[in-house]
Amino acid sequence: MTNPAVAVRGLTKIFPVPLHRQSIVAVRDLDLRIEPGEVYGLLGPNGSGKSTTLKIILGLVSPTGGRTEIFGRDSRLVESREAVGFLPENPYFYKYLTGEETLRFFGRLCGLRGVLLKNRINELLDLVGLSKARKRRLGTYSKGMLQRIGLAQALIHDPRLVVLDEPTAGVDPAGSREIRDLILDFKRRGITVLLSSHLLAQAQEICDRVGILADGVLVREGHLQELIAIENQTELVIADASPQLVNEIESFINRSNAKLIERRKSTTTLERLFIEATTKNHEARMSNEEGITKQK
Amino acid sequence: MQIEMTDRHYRAFSFARINAITFNTLTELTRLRVFYVLLVFALFLIGSSIFMAQFSFQQEFQILKDISLGAMSIFTSLLAIVATARLLPQDIEDRTVYTILAKPVPRFEYILGKIAGVLLLLAISTLVMGAAFLLILYAREQAAVHATVTHMSGAPREQVADAMRAIRSSAFNVDIFPGIIIIYLKACLLAALTLFVSTFASTNIFTIVVMAFIYFIGHLQATAREYWLHEHSSGVITRIFLAVVALLFPDLQAFNLVDDIVAGTAISMALFAKTAVLGTFYTTIYTLLAAFVFYGKEL
Repeated sequence: MTNPAVAVRGLTKIFPVPLHRQSIVAVRDLDLRIEPGEVYGLLGPNGSGKSTTLKIILGLVSPTGGRTEIFGRDSRLVESREAVGFLPENPYFYKYLTGEETLRFFGRLCGLRGVLLKNRINELLDLVGLSKARKRRLGTYSKGMLQRIGLAQALIHDPRLVVLDEPTAGVDPAGSREIRDLILDFKRRGITVLLSSHLLAQAQEICDRVGILADGVLVREGHLQELIAIENQTELVIADASPQLVNEIESFINRSNAKLIERRKSTTTLERLFIEATTKNHEARMSNEEGITKQK
Repeated sequence: MQIEMTDRHYRAFSFARINAITFNTLTELTRLRVFYVLLVFALFLIGSSIFMAQFSFQQEFQILKDISLGAMSIFTSLLAIVATARLLPQDIEDRTVYTILAKPVPRFEYILGKIAGVLLLLAISTLVMGAAFLLILYAREQAAVHATVTHMSGAPREQVADAMRAIRSSAFNVDIFPGIIIIYLKACLLAALTLFVSTFASTNIFTIVVMAFIYFIGHLQATAREYWLHEHSSGVITRIFLAVVALLFPDLQAFNLVDDIVAGTAISMALFAKTAVLGTFYTTIYTLLAAFVFYGKEL
């Protein structure tokens, strides 16, 4: 039997408040099991205990009670982190290092060196689309670029588990989409992903399973499709249907015991509209500039 | 994109990991332009040597050594405190510490790497300041030799040779080198103590204020201890109390050998060894204390 990527049993974390008798319960009796290769979303509002749970899993914070394991190893042990890559919320990194130097630093921390490290840096910079910005200091990077270099450093030692704390917080829709695509790519490569987020639409697109935390307690958990499915309703999406055909379907439904709840035009998402509009505008500007340069 | 990774086995202790943190810390401090303090030191030295040209050469060399070694001591101490104070709080505030410790890096290696980076920076700074000081001293000595030769052009050779010996002996003495090493060790001690204070401080301002306080107490505590022992009984409890005070506030006056060097008093090997061992001991103890506190810190 293979070990789960992450196993959390009876996890409780209580933060004492100095000079006060009361304390804050950040996580209460939490049980989680994440299988290898899954994309698991830990969802919840701000202050629900998501980040604390991730920090305990990574050994950055010690639990008040309970136990956490990564691929069968106690996560308090440093060696358990050989299998983990982590991207914290709003990471800054060292502003004075270039993108390439940042990856070299984190690679060395993981025992990589020489040609292997050099090749790994090149491949990761390609993967996250920062090859052209490799010599620029991180102080000049945009928010989205910082998130992407953060993802690259998380992957530098080829981990089996990637932990992402609010990976798209503060990133614009295009950058957010790029990060989402990278996470889907991790999944294709068999990397387990544990991410925390309160951006539900995005979690819905990428997660296999989700757990919802509220006030430190896991209130719902399961496969996404099962959790969000409405049992007694069915959606039909038809392309190129004539109004006559739609009317016929509707009258057929009315003749049966079923009930038509809504009839509407299919819509795209606001995110897709935004990306199409900004990309087209950008491409038009670029070709315009090219034309002007040629004329000169 | 899966690449073939060689077999990497986790080691409980790795010089490679510590080196990575050490050189990253050195890069950080260098790119923050802390070396500007060296420029200030050089300008200070050149300015004071121009001012001293009006004295006799014995007075000039004495004042030059006094000012230069004193300035080296203050500049390296300042550099040690200011450069170290920001390291941990900044890494915690920027969450960089999370990404580092989420890798297979033990916390004590992180602390060792940080302190080693600062000690390397201090070593480079002390070498540069020492070289600048010796260069100015040599230049002033040559100027004095040239002036004396011109002045004594008609004097007998023995008299000129005596004058040359007097100039050289008052310019250089071999005790300058152990003096500079002790200045470096004092800075190392202060860096380690600053790192320890910063493990439980939340801002670098707090650390700097506490260190300024410790710096002054450290220079005054020997006098206070002598007064205390003179005025009160020297029982066991008093001695334990004084030992605790000595650990919390190291006797920084013990690292002040500048007065002896300036006065031309020879620094015995025993005094140098004792002071060097004291400096190394304090630096090690404070680094271990920093690692211990950081080990249990909730990040």
